[in-house]
Amino acid sequence: MAHSTTMDENVLIAQLITGDDKAFRWLISQYQSLLLNIARTIVGDVFADEVVQESWVSVYKNIASFERRSSLKTWLLTIVSNQAKARLRKESRTVSLEQLDGETPGSYLDSTHFKQDGHWQNPIPHWDNESPEALLEEKQLQHCIAKTLMLLPPAQKTAFILRDMEQQSFEDICTILDVSAANVRVLVHRARLTLMQMIDRYQETGSC
Amino acid sequence: MLSCKQVATVASQYLDKDVSTPLKWQIRWHLMMCANCRRFMRHLRITQTVTRMTPLTQTPVDSEKIWEELQQKIKQESRQE
Repeated sequence: MAHSTTMDENVLIAQLITGDDKAFRWLISQYQSLLLNIARTIVGDVFADEVVQESWVSVYKNIASFERRSSLKTWLLTIVSNQAKARLRKESRTVSLEQLDGETPGSYLDSTHFKQDGHWQNPIPHWDNESPEALLEEKQLQHCIAKTLMLLPPAQKTAFILRDMEQQSFEDICTILDVSAANVRVLVHRARLTLMQMIDRYQETGSC
Repeated sequence: MLSCKQVATVASQYLDKDVSTPLKWQIRWHLMMCANCRRFMRHLRITQTVTRMTPLTQTPVDSEKIWEELQQKIKQESRQE
């Protein structure tokens, strides 16, 4: 493969502008999954594939006028977000992200975990292994993380992926998902807590 | 003093350094007094570090197929114009 994930973005953009199909196919391989996640979160499963395809067409047509005020990744995310929102308006569906993702019963923030005075009902579970390096070595845990992530409600999953894995700013995530900053924070926090509870189980039983 | 529930609610914001200075000191004060919340905060931080570095196993992307379909769509659209 001619490109690596760390390749100079300016070189990549120059290749895309000249219509280099290898560069375009590389871009697709890098971002298709992420764009699909975002489209699914905003517009749902049924239209997501179409929305992503329309987004690629738009990228292909407009790459020459990309002004580089943001990174290429952020530009792609904005395009898919706009396409998905336009589609949502066209289908005149009014499903809000907050409605999609309710509070998870039994989660750490569930009131059953707290006494009346707001103190913990039970001690926080002990972890035998508190070393991130050692935990990262454990294949079973990696499998559990991937599985838990896939099962998260769509808005939580996308907010978490954008924030913790793709390191996008809260401002950009708000624009991409069209939710308030407060809601993005709540979504990311809930996702992290769900993953933490899975690690509680993993530490105790060795499985998720 | 903040309750454990309040600390648990803003724990991510605290780790993201996304809280006001007065709130930050209130949380620190609580953490000094409360071993449970210290453990909670530590585990949340570990969770964040570990998940951040876990490679996502995604279904492989058939970029050739997507590229071909994309070419067809672009041709179609330019014919319509």
